[in-house]
Amino acid sequence: MTSIPITPPYPAAASPRRRGWFAQLGVDTAYVVVGFPLAVISFAVGVSLICAGAGLLAAFLVGIPVFVLALLVARGLAEVERSRIVPVLRRPRVPVVYRRSAPGSGWLRRLFSPLAEGQYWLDTVYGLLRFPVTFGTFSVVVTWWASALGGLSYGLWDWSLPRDANPEPGVIVVNNRGLPDVLGIANTTTNRILIYTAIGIVFTVTLPFVVRACALIDAWLAHGLLNGVAGLRHQVADLARSRDVATARTAAAVSAEANALRRLERDLHDGPQQRLVRLAMDLGRARVQLGSDPDAAARTVDEAITQTREALDELRTLSRGIAPPILTDRGLAAASAALAARSTVAVRVELAQLPRLPALTEQTAYFTIAEALTNVAKHSGATSASVSASLDGDRLIVDIADDGRGGAHLAKGHGLAGLADRLQGVGGQLWVSSPPGGPTSIRAEVPAVPAASVQEGEAG
Amino acid sequence: MRIVLADDAVLLREGLVRLLTEQGHDVVAVVGDGPSLVAAEAAHEPDLSIVDVRMPPTHTDEGLRAAVQIRARRPGAAVLVLSQYVELSYADDLLQDRRGAVGYLLKDRVADIDSFTDVIARVASGGTVLDPEVVSQLLVRRRANDPLATLTAREREVLALMAEGRSNAAIARRLVISDGAVEKHVANIFAKLGLPQDEDSNRRVLAVLAFLRS
Repeated sequence: MTSIPITPPYPAAASPRRRGWFAQLGVDTAYVVVGFPLAVISFAVGVSLICAGAGLLAAFLVGIPVFVLALLVARGLAEVERSRIVPVLRRPRVPVVYRRSAPGSGWLRRLFSPLAEGQYWLDTVYGLLRFPVTFGTFSVVVTWWASALGGLSYGLWDWSLPRDANPEPGVIVVNNRGLPDVLGIANTTTNRILIYTAIGIVFTVTLPFVVRACALIDAWLAHGLLNGVAGLRHQVADLARSRDVATARTAAAVSAEANALRRLERDLHDGPQQRLVRLAMDLGRARVQLGSDPDAAARTVDEAITQTREALDELRTLSRGIAPPILTDRGLAAASAALAARSTVAVRVELAQLPRLPALTEQTAYFTIAEALTNVAKHSGATSASVSASLDGDRLIVDIADDGRGGAHLAKGHGLAGLADRLQGVGGQLWVSSPPGGPTSIRAEVPAVPAASVQEGEAG
Repeated sequence: MRIVLADDAVLLREGLVRLLTEQGHDVVAVVGDGPSLVAAEAAHEPDLSIVDVRMPPTHTDEGLRAAVQIRARRPGAAVLVLSQYVELSYADDLLQDRRGAVGYLLKDRVADIDSFTDVIARVASGGTVLDPEVVSQLLVRRRANDPLATLTAREREVLALMAEGRSNAAIARRLVISDGAVEKHVANIFAKLGLPQDEDSNRRVLAVLAFLRS
């Protein structure tokens, strides 16, 4: 089974799902708490290597590799951080590409190449900067957790605090004043428990917000320095890609249009024009014959009448090829049924439930069905075929299948290639599955933004 | 007159054969594409070849190229080219060798059997006949300091008929004026356009066409 998408699909990157506040609190806490030791390592290693590198810079060839080592370490830690911020920021990881030296370049060039890549330096800056920032956020998070847990559970361990006026030998109570004393309240067990529990509640309630804020500060610093440039590059690449798609689309539309016009011109030339010239010729002969041989003139005029009828038939067929009246009047379902009725192969049509769609959608779908059924009749050797169409959101999916011998393909110069161009021109796609021996199935996806409900009333 | 006919549309070919036969001509060969036309012309050396421009295998200007080929082999061989469309560049190709005995007509003209018969006779006897459509396209082309602008309306009519390849007598009949009046108009036209006077009607046509195309 070969499926040939005409436009490559661009899957949207999966976005991490939202989690509950409690789970998020866990994620954020872990992020900040683990972040601090990482920051310490990052800062310590970074500063040592950079200082060593700077010190050895005098001995050129020794200092540079040390710098490079600093950059590589920074990159390693940065990669860890890029993964860690994903659950915090709840956005997919940005793929960051580090420029490499060209393949086959010498070891010296390979060694120096990180020095020329800005992202390495940003990673290093982050490695140094994260330490003071994380230091602050880590302290706040630990304080909040400690105050919340300690306050809430104070009633359980109040008894364990030394409060004796006469402490055991070796224990020195310097100033055993509690918070109640400061607030001017009697320093009783009940009051202490009440006050500390209240404080614990306050910290507990604010805990998720404070921890989230700290985690966001850390994560945004990392995101900004580590992903910012890459993000911009991706945006530029995305824009370029969508422009390329648009260009390809236009080109396909133009070529489909040009082909259609050429074919129309040929059809006009080979059909009605010839008939009309012949008609004129016959009438001219008839006029000459009138004087000498009225019987011959009558025969010639009869022929002329036949030519006229045939010219009309041909014009009708042609206009059906340009914009079939039944499609405009009754919509895709009726027009497809008409196509099926004209086909030499038995065709089952299933698209009764379709609403009226925009003209371009209906036309594209109609020509897809017409071309496919023509192929079925001409090439497939099939005894039966089926046509179905359904709306999937704002796309119209059209399926045409037959029980023939297969072997249809999208090679240039075949009707299917023109069809693919036509579909690409309107932003759709065509798939053909036609293994040798059959069966053949063709699927077309046509963009369809259903026009407002007015259409329903008009359809009758 | 012995005629070779080349047209790929069976319908038209049949019609033309009947028409020509009824007019007393002898259609010695009927072909459907360029190469076989060249071959048939060489084999029969007819008095006239009637050629459709668009034929297989290329379906472009096959007939025209065959006509040019025929006249390259047998200079002055009479060729009447029929076309669904009139294109100046097609006419230019035919007129290039300046030998006359060429015609270029819209297919529709065939229906006017009298004038078609007349065209056949004129081309076969070495005349140049262009479709009025071609001539009017030539006349429409404007130039800076156009000497055509100095012509009177009557002189333009005479010029157009001259370019179609008609003789003074034919022009006089057509415009319902005397032969002398036509001669006077022709002399004025030649003077205004700076063309050399020439009695030979074919050379006269070619001079006019050369002027119009320049």
